[in-house]
Amino acid sequence: MNRKPRPAGKSSCSSKLLSDWHRHLITRRQFLLAAAGSSLAALFPLSSDAAAEHRAKPAATPDPWPVIDAVQQHLFPTEAEAPGAREINALGYLQFVITDNTLDTEDREFISKGVVWLEDMTFQMHKTSFINLDEKDREKVLRRIASSEAGENWISTLLLYIVEALLTDPVYGGNTKQLGWKWLQHVPGYPRPPRDKTFLRLLS
Amino acid sequence: MKDFDVCIIGSGAGGGPVALTLAEAGYSVVVLEKGPWFTTQDFYKDELACCRRSVYTPKLHDEQHVIEEQDDNGGWQATATSESGWDFWNGNCVGGSSNFMSGFFHRLKPVDFHQLSEFGSIDGANRVDWPISYEDLAPYYDKVERVVGVSGQYKPHKNIEPRKGDFPYPPTAEHAIASWIDTACDELGYHSLRVPRAILSKPQGARRSCEYSGYCGSYGCASDAKGSSRVALLDRAVATGRCEIRPYSKVTRLISDAKGKISKLEYTNAKDDNKEHDKKYLDARIYVVACQAIETSRLLLHSTGPAFPDGLANNSGQVGKNLLFSAGGSGSGDFDFSDLTEDKLNQLKQMGPFVNRALDDWYTINDAKFGKQPVKGGIVEFLLAHPNPTGKANGLKWDDGQLLWGKPYKRKLENWFRTDRSLKFEVFNDWLPTDDCFVSLDSSIKDRWATPVAKVRIGYHEHDLKIGSYLTDKGEQVLKQMGAVRINSSVSGSPPANLVAGGCRFGNNVKTSVLDADCRAHEVENLFVTDGSFMPTGGSVPYTWTIYANAFRVAEKIKTL
Repeated sequence: MNRKPRPAGKSSCSSKLLSDWHRHLITRRQFLLAAAGSSLAALFPLSSDAAAEHRAKPAATPDPWPVIDAVQQHLFPTEAEAPGAREINALGYLQFVITDNTLDTEDREFISKGVVWLEDMTFQMHKTSFINLDEKDREKVLRRIASSEAGENWISTLLLYIVEALLTDPVYGGNTKQLGWKWLQHVPGYPRPPRDKTFLRLLS
Repeated sequence: MKDFDVCIIGSGAGGGPVALTLAEAGYSVVVLEKGPWFTTQDFYKDELACCRRSVYTPKLHDEQHVIEEQDDNGGWQATATSESGWDFWNGNCVGGSSNFMSGFFHRLKPVDFHQLSEFGSIDGANRVDWPISYEDLAPYYDKVERVVGVSGQYKPHKNIEPRKGDFPYPPTAEHAIASWIDTACDELGYHSLRVPRAILSKPQGARRSCEYSGYCGSYGCASDAKGSSRVALLDRAVATGRCEIRPYSKVTRLISDAKGKISKLEYTNAKDDNKEHDKKYLDARIYVVACQAIETSRLLLHSTGPAFPDGLANNSGQVGKNLLFSAGGSGSGDFDFSDLTEDKLNQLKQMGPFVNRALDDWYTINDAKFGKQPVKGGIVEFLLAHPNPTGKANGLKWDDGQLLWGKPYKRKLENWFRTDRSLKFEVFNDWLPTDDCFVSLDSSIKDRWATPVAKVRIGYHEHDLKIGSYLTDKGEQVLKQMGAVRINSSVSGSPPANLVAGGCRFGNNVKTSVLDADCRAHEVENLFVTDGSFMPTGGSVPYTWTIYANAFRVAEKIKTL
């Protein structure tokens, strides 16, 4: 690569004022502000009745990780011939990401706060937690979430860290036994980073 | 008694040649670098480190830029890069961005030195001739070949720039697809040329030759084959015993006296864990600024003094003006594995060697489409897709604007990674200097040292897009001739943040330039600028070789003082 490109979004945007990254930024900000103010319903595609009910409900599961695990496995399912989120340790990798203070706090908060919203919406739709849904209903909930820009951005963020777990060096905790590289027939570069030369060590 | 003879601010391609030349000549030299001093033993083929986290560049919340883009109504919309994520840093560590370059090395051609005389003016563009000629710079291009190490092969060619003899290092190993490109170009009547690389094909002293891992551009080099300022120049400068490199040294201000001469500079410890930001001072007989174009202009603009109310060396109002990027675009085509013979397939799957092919047939365009007179064109450079699999996979999650996940996403990943290989091309043409592309200081956003950040207006000239489109058509023709499928290309006025120059143009007129022909500030006798800032027009190739060569040239001028 010689020409360093501008950050790519999901599609080109005709308006220079509201390019894709800009729009994503705004939806993420709106989401975090709304989450802080307990007015999530303003952002999400709930009916007014459901929104009223939503506000009356207590916060969802205190431990977000089982829910994130379930979402990851739905987004990147295990198959006989192809590794899924479980095999590449996407959950463990995301736990590493969440504790990596070289990333913006806002980005990390966005991941965990989105779980609260997911659980609230699942409760509105199915009266139970996301982890109790079957595959078909999980798909429905996630598609519903993806219909809002903030929700789409949240799922997009989870997918980003799934592919990082799939294709970055196993030294970071994902890509167990190089399963991601092997599956996609990707040839890594050498030398690969040893434990004492991960980017976290370089920054310390 | 001054602390040093020469103080160099910035350790990249503009700083390294000056440090080495002057240290070897007996000067005492100090190099102040804002970032850390990574060594070769710190560089691995780690996509997270190179491309997905701020390891070699600052965190944008700590240090950023403000980018001004034209909106649909002709106004200018400013966005901080901490919000957009559009990172304009390119490598803040000893050696600068030269640690992470791809090392596609092209000389400017003689015509680049007198574009105004050769091609005339263009409305809305500030095209000028350079105050020096190709012949003035040629000996220093030669020197870069020997000292930094450039691998290539001389072959007579229609547009080849004048040069003496062959390259000091033979070409790097080449990927089989290079011969496919050659064949297609022959069939089209085009003249493919072998691109020199700032990558050693044979060892040079302690530097090993290339190990062909296939992970080069954006990655630090683990064998020292890549000709970074750090390994090729600064390590040798330090070895003289007369050059000191001070990493984590952020220069905040150049302090000048009433006569307009720099008396000392102010700097601070830039380590993340240093919250004191205590000020330190240093003086030298000569100051050389080489912080990469945007930051060089920013430092001068911020360094006001009794003789310079609008910034050091800026009584002309020219500092920061006529900033340049590289115009052009890119394209790609795929080769489906299922369409290839086993032999061809094995050739295509090869990892490691370089493509090393470009076209400069249209460096000057003679085409009625642009009128009767020739116009300035550019080059088409071919390359295999950049090895950043995570970035690629992440981009594939979008399908016609909708998020893709589950099995459909996995099938798309399999298809992209396992069934074909892409050949890319990149087009480089002049980014015309205009009044809409410049650096100023932002009035509200400051960095973590409370210094105003650079605001960069990135307007472009429509002419640049026309030339870029003309050249991308040529690139597409080659891919088509090669039998590639799914060919596409795009041309954009969006600048590549790593290809930047101008802002302190050199020239003979004190009112319209910041530097004289020797890159010494017209108004400040002990100030030189040796990064790409000096360039008044950019030329149609990547800048690094020219920056290296010019810095060697200026170092020789400093020796005569």
